[in-house]
Amino acid sequence: MTINKLPVICMKMNNMGGIQLNTVRKCKWLSLLVVTSLLILSACNTGKSELYEKTITGATDTAPGGLFNPIFYVDMYEETILELTHERLVKQNEKLEFEPNLAKSWTINEDHTAVTFELEEGVKWHDGEPFTADDVVFTYETMSDPDYVAAGGLRTLFVEPLLDYEEYNAGETTDFKGVVAEDDYTVTFHFNEPSITPLYMASVPIIPKHVFEEIPIKDMPGAPASQEAESIIGTGPFKFVHITDRERYIFLRHEDYWQGTPDIERINYRVVESSVMIGLIEKGEIDFVGRPSGIQAADYSTLEPNENLQMIEQLDFSYQVLGFKLNHRTDEDVKNSAIQPNNWVENKKLADPKVRQAITYALDREGMVNGLLYGKGDVINSPIAPQHWASSEERTNKYPFDPEKAKKLLDEAGFKDVDGDGFREDPEGEPWVLNMKYPAGNQLRERTAPLIKQQLEEVGVRINLKQPKEMSAFLIDMENDDKEDDTDLYLIGWGLETADPDPTELWSSRTPWNYSRWNNAKSDELIKQALTAPKALEQEYRAETYAEWQQLYSEDLPAVLLYIEPALWVYNKRIGGVHALPHTLFDDIHKWTVD
Amino acid sequence: MARYIIRRLLVFIPMLFLLTLIIFSLAKAAPGDPLTGKQLDPTVSKEVYEIQREELGLNDPLPTQYWNWLSSFTSGDFGQSMYYNGRSVESLISSRLLNTVYLGILAYLITLAVSIPLGIYSARRPYSLLDNTATTFGFVGLAIPNFFFGLIGIYIFSIHLGWFPSQSTMSDPLLTGIPAFMDRLHHMILPAITLAMAGTATYMRYVRSEALDILGSEYIRMAKAKGMKERTVLYKHTLRNALIPIITLSGYEFGILLGGAVITEQVFNYSGLGMLFIESIVNRDYPVIMAINLLLGATILLGNLLSDILYSVADPRIRYD
Repeated sequence: MTINKLPVICMKMNNMGGIQLNTVRKCKWLSLLVVTSLLILSACNTGKSELYEKTITGATDTAPGGLFNPIFYVDMYEETILELTHERLVKQNEKLEFEPNLAKSWTINEDHTAVTFELEEGVKWHDGEPFTADDVVFTYETMSDPDYVAAGGLRTLFVEPLLDYEEYNAGETTDFKGVVAEDDYTVTFHFNEPSITPLYMASVPIIPKHVFEEIPIKDMPGAPASQEAESIIGTGPFKFVHITDRERYIFLRHEDYWQGTPDIERINYRVVESSVMIGLIEKGEIDFVGRPSGIQAADYSTLEPNENLQMIEQLDFSYQVLGFKLNHRTDEDVKNSAIQPNNWVENKKLADPKVRQAITYALDREGMVNGLLYGKGDVINSPIAPQHWASSEERTNKYPFDPEKAKKLLDEAGFKDVDGDGFREDPEGEPWVLNMKYPAGNQLRERTAPLIKQQLEEVGVRINLKQPKEMSAFLIDMENDDKEDDTDLYLIGWGLETADPDPTELWSSRTPWNYSRWNNAKSDELIKQALTAPKALEQEYRAETYAEWQQLYSEDLPAVLLYIEPALWVYNKRIGGVHALPHTLFDDIHKWTVD
Repeated sequence: MARYIIRRLLVFIPMLFLLTLIIFSLAKAAPGDPLTGKQLDPTVSKEVYEIQREELGLNDPLPTQYWNWLSSFTSGDFGQSMYYNGRSVESLISSRLLNTVYLGILAYLITLAVSIPLGIYSARRPYSLLDNTATTFGFVGLAIPNFFFGLIGIYIFSIHLGWFPSQSTMSDPLLTGIPAFMDRLHHMILPAITLAMAGTATYMRYVRSEALDILGSEYIRMAKAKGMKERTVLYKHTLRNALIPIITLSGYEFGILLGGAVITEQVFNYSGLGMLFIESIVNRDYPVIMAINLLLGATILLGNLLSDILYSVADPRIRYD
């Protein structure tokens, strides 16, 4: 390691530096040497390696945390990288419907309580071992284990509906019945109740049994098999060969890949500061940028004219909302972190739906998309992402920008300016000030907040815009919504699940993330119906139920949907065979080619 | 001297202990914990986080939590990151510490190599063209924020001229031997110059004003009157005495170079301790916050001790016993 030696020599020089005449000279001489060698260095650009001819380089603006295990990973950056190395039984197509992947076919039983998958044969793990039904069972068994959550696992959602999950998870039985291997290449998922989304439940990336079976579950996240390049084993088209923590991730192709050896030999995946990313893309040092970071809307037009680049403009699965705090919880419930809609106390300032509709009319959302997102992204009125089959934008109220209508609605609701100061008072003539809170950290959101204040004050709604707090502190404020809490309006962004449109976790009354504390019996009923067999087994029925729910949402308005953010991706045209889907750039990456 | 050093080292122990106590209280006083920030994923139920809080010991009383940390630390274990599942603090820090140390040393060398000759020259010919240029450069260097200087550097030398890479610590980790070393050096140049900017300006001003004072003093006039060579006067008598403030500054510089590279590291996406530090605070990753602070604290204390010792080398009149 030559690299270790130089600093040591310099240190010695330093410590004595300036004491003796000759040392000073030496130090100067050394620095001269350093400067000269730097000049030489800069001349001979050692930038690109010729180690593998067919190398492409991708980039993201945020470093993944470093846990590359598909059942334990934490962030979206890890998730994206895992798409190269690990695979699922089923994957999603451009309509977000599930199609075969490691499973070549499946049959669902009559009452929808079981689904049997026929697996591809001849699939090999990166270390050469064959992939079998036992690996699938092992993956789900691990996630159902009592130790899984304690070890840091988060995705119990996928195993909770499995047959006798509760008993197994409580440690009452060691007999795992949820996922059963019929033979080496046939595996059956059993559910407690008829499953509306059996394929979604089967879409967890599979981990290798032969690698993990000897490791206690509590040690799995910390094990080399979850963190160290050569030890991370999947079935995907590329395998990990190197990690420079938070900086660079290197993959080589999986020669035995079951769908054919990829044409690309090597993929470099770099973490690059977003302000320099554009320059590197233009220079050709970066060949592709996809989910989750993408490129900034402001940079899109800079890259667009470049003939070497192929731009991809889509909608992302995340939107920003202006929430209305409709109810507060009782002090007691906050203390016990209980969500009991019957106890809630109504926030009188926003109780009238007309007021909420007026506020929505007063906001120039089209203008926000044009001004803040450079015309990328879109205005939406339905809280289900437009990419989904369940989205029903046409059934919603549209709320175009209309300050006059906003004023009229506010007048009708009795909120009038009685003292002539330019701001409206409530129907009792008392001052009416709405407190607005938002988290810091997202530039887009930080620029949206003052715009909202300005636009609402134009129709006479006085806004007290609070100083933004960092996300952790903001979330604590949102969760401590007892009597003392003075929040009326809040900004937040939600990333939506790409697999299923079910809105239970964001908008049903009992979910903690329903920060509006929206309590609407009809809404809860519809959300539940859309998940209740047997009717909900038909997608058409679900779509119709969700359409009705979206209509209700847009009338009752627990929140204004400000805009859906764009997903702006780019790749260099020297890469061929790219097939971008709404949720990934990496679909069929083994078919990518490079000149 | 040896006794003095031992005495000073012994004093470090209660100081570091106090430091951990303060940092721990401050870190805990911030709202939220390592799991709050993760809770924005609605597909994960709150019970899951409750179980993990219990597992991480976040529900224990504060003194218990501090005690647990302290006892595992004194047995040489920095613990596990609470934010990054399954990652040990040691693995998070060790991969970056060296990066930061290399960068700091190169920046320090650049600082000395530029500031001392320029300072001395300016003092010898005050208000000359070079002095004025250097002074202007000094003020500009102090006035321009690091990140801005970094971005300009990237724009000109990296994107425009293509001389230096602009991001990360190396271009290909699969390289080995001499090419790997050269490659790393190549990547350090822009960030090191950026990091050295402010320090260079400060040092230069100190050396200049100190040397100017000394050049006007009687013993220098005496030395010159004796017919000593100009060079000898300058290097043996002037420079040596002008170094005292540099030594004082250097004591702090160690800590600053270790922890102060935050912004530079961010701009150049240079994976070092600074970036980890900021992240750990945002994520409320207590074990990492504690470990880094302790590392910085210890370095600053050692740096100060070192500069105290160096005083006596530079100026024999200073004695410790």
